[in-house]
Amino acid sequence: MPLVHLEGVSKFYRVGDQEIRALDSVDLQIEEGEFVSIVGPSGSGKSTLMHLLGCLDAPTSGRMQICGNDLSSASQNRLADVRNREIGFVFQSFNLLAKLDVVQNIELPLVYSGLPSAERRRRAEQVARDVGLGDRMANRPIQLSGGQCQRVAIGRALVNNPRIIFADEPTGNLDSVTGKMILDMFRDLNASGKTIVLVTHDSDIAAVSRRVIEIHDGKIRREYRP
Amino acid sequence: MNLFVALQIGLSEIAAHKFRSFLSMLGIVLGVSSLISTLALTTGIERGTRAFMQQVGGLEYVSVVNKEISNQMFDFWNLSPGRTLRDAQAISASAPLISHVSPELAFGAAISSGIKSDRRQIRGVFPDHFVIARHELAAGRFLTELDVERGLRSVVVGDAISRLLWPDLKPVAVVGKTLLINDRPFEVVGVLPKYEREEDKRRRTIAGPGKPSRMGQKWDPFRQKNESILIPYSTMFFDFRAGAFPMDSMESIRLDALILRVGELAHFRAALDQVRAALSATHRGVDDFDLETREEWFDRMEASIRATRLSGGLIATISLVVGGIGIMNIMLASISERVREIGIRLAVGARGRDIFIQIIIESISIAFIGGLLGVVAAFGLIEILKLIAPNENAPIMTLGGIVFSVGFAVLAGFFSGIYPALRASRLNPIAALRYE
Repeated sequence: MPLVHLEGVSKFYRVGDQEIRALDSVDLQIEEGEFVSIVGPSGSGKSTLMHLLGCLDAPTSGRMQICGNDLSSASQNRLADVRNREIGFVFQSFNLLAKLDVVQNIELPLVYSGLPSAERRRRAEQVARDVGLGDRMANRPIQLSGGQCQRVAIGRALVNNPRIIFADEPTGNLDSVTGKMILDMFRDLNASGKTIVLVTHDSDIAAVSRRVIEIHDGKIRREYRP
Repeated sequence: MNLFVALQIGLSEIAAHKFRSFLSMLGIVLGVSSLISTLALTTGIERGTRAFMQQVGGLEYVSVVNKEISNQMFDFWNLSPGRTLRDAQAISASAPLISHVSPELAFGAAISSGIKSDRRQIRGVFPDHFVIARHELAAGRFLTELDVERGLRSVVVGDAISRLLWPDLKPVAVVGKTLLINDRPFEVVGVLPKYEREEDKRRRTIAGPGKPSRMGQKWDPFRQKNESILIPYSTMFFDFRAGAFPMDSMESIRLDALILRVGELAHFRAALDQVRAALSATHRGVDDFDLETREEWFDRMEASIRATRLSGGLIATISLVVGGIGIMNIMLASISERVREIGIRLAVGARGRDIFIQIIIESISIAFIGGLLGVVAAFGLIEILKLIAPNENAPIMTLGGIVFSVGFAVLAGFFSGIYPALRASRLNPIAALRYE
C-alpha cells in the first residue's frame, strides 16, 4: 500500500462564474521512504496539489488515500486529525508563532494531540536539540536567523513523528548556503526513513530528490529521476 | 486540546495586550460592580424592613377590631356584647392554633414620679401582651399571671416614659420606683428598651449622643411601644374602670383592644377560622368584628423590595450585556489580527473545535477577570454609597450576590465569545495561512 495514492483527483475553484481547474484528474503514488520533488511554474497547480496531499483541503473529485486514510470526501475535522498525526509541514515563510519561544513552537502539534504537558515539553526539547537548537530553546523567532527559524519549523514538523513531511519552497527565504544546509537536513531525514515531499519552482533544488514530478496546467506533465 | 491549555493560551493572550484587555473588561467591571451594589442595597433594605416587621409583631400579630354592623343585622346589634374578656377566654379555650391572647383596657390618667408628671394613656393587659407585641426588657421583668390574678399594682413602662419621669436614671435604677397613676402608687417592675428603626439608630449614632434628633417630627412606628405604660388587666379594671360603669363586670366590660398571636404561620388561615368560630359564639352570631392582619401591609413592603431589586437588577443587567458586547467587539478585532496564527494552528492539526474552545475560553477569562475587578470595585462603590446616604439602610454584600454577579459576567463572556469563536473556527486553513 503506497503512502500517497491519488486516482483521478481534481480540484476546481469557482471565481465568479468562471471555473478554474487547479488540478485536473491527477494520478500519483508515493511510497514510504521516497524523496519526491514537485516542480512547476507558479499557477501550475503544484500548491494545490500540496494542499491536497497535506490534507489542508479535500479534492473536488477522485480518490485520495493518505497513509491508509481514504480522504476523498473527508470532513475538516478528519483532515485535521490526519494532519496532526501523519503530516509535518515546512513553509517558505517559516510560519512560526512570534509569541512563543523555540520549544513552545516545536511543541505546538503535540498540544493538539492531547499529550500531557510534561511529556510535550520533554519531546519538544529533545527535537530542539536534534535540529541543532539546543542552546536557543528559550529564544523567540525574532531573535533567530532565517536558517534557525527554518530549523524550528522542521523541528515542529518532526515532533509528532509523522510519516510524511511536506516542504513548500523551504529555501525560498534563505541565502544559498543556509538553503543548502536545510536541504541537507531533508536528505538526512530521508536517509533515516522519512518520506519527504518538496515543492519548488527551482529544478536545481529539485535535483536533491530522487524523483521529480513536473506539474503544468493542473496535470502531471512528466516524471523523471535526476 | 484540553481546557487547561486553552486557559493558558487565553491568559497569555490577555497578558500580552494588557491595556486592550482592560478596556474590553471595563464594561464587565462596571456591570458587575453595579449589580453587586444593587443586590447589596436591596439586601440592606430587605433586612431593615424585616427587622422592622419583626419589631411590630411580625405576621403572627392579629388584632380583633370592631366592625360597622350591616343594616340588615342592625336589629340584632344589642344581642352582641361586643369585644369582652369572654372573647379572650373563648379563644384561649377553643382556638388551639392561637398561642397567645391579650385583652386590653385603656384609660387616660395623670402619672407622676414625684419629680415629673404628665397625662398619659395607661393600658391594662395580660402577660401574653409582651409576647404578642414582641417586647424586650431593658431591666426588671414583664407582668406575670400573679400580677393579673391578684390585681397587683405593678407597672411596666416604655423607654420614653422612663426618660420622661426619671430623666437622670438608668432603666435598672427605675425598677423598684413608685409611679403614681391618678395618685395610686404602682411599683415599676420592668422597663422596656428603646425601640427604633435601623435607619434611626444609625442616624443617632452618626449625629452623636449630644445632638437632638429630628425624630419627633417624623412618623415613628414605635412611638406607641416606647410610650407604653402597662398594668395588669384586673388592676386596670378594679382601680380605674369598674366605677365608671357600675353595670359592668370584669368579664362584660367592652375591651379597647384584643390582640392575638398565631402559633404557627403554616396554619395561619386555619387559626383565623378558629378565632372566627369562637368569636361567633361569644358574639351570638352577630357579625360585628373583624380580624386585622399584617398580611397586606407586609405584602406591600415585600412588593416594593422586589420592585427595587428588579429595577436595579435590570439596569445592572443592561450594563453587563453592554460589557459583553464590548468583549465581542474586542474578540472580533483580535481574531482578524490573528488569522495567520489560527491558520498555523490549523495546519499543525488543530481542529475547528480546538480553535473555538481557545477563543471562547479567552472571552470567558476576560469576563471573569473583569468580574473579579468588579467585585473589588463594588467594595469601593458601597463605601461611596454609605457616604452619600448614611441614614438609609446600610448595603449588605452577600457571598451569594457576589457569586451570582460574577457568574452572570462569565455567562456574558461566554455568549459574547460564541460568535467570534465560530468565525475563527470556520476559517479555511489555506486562506488563513496566506492571510497577510
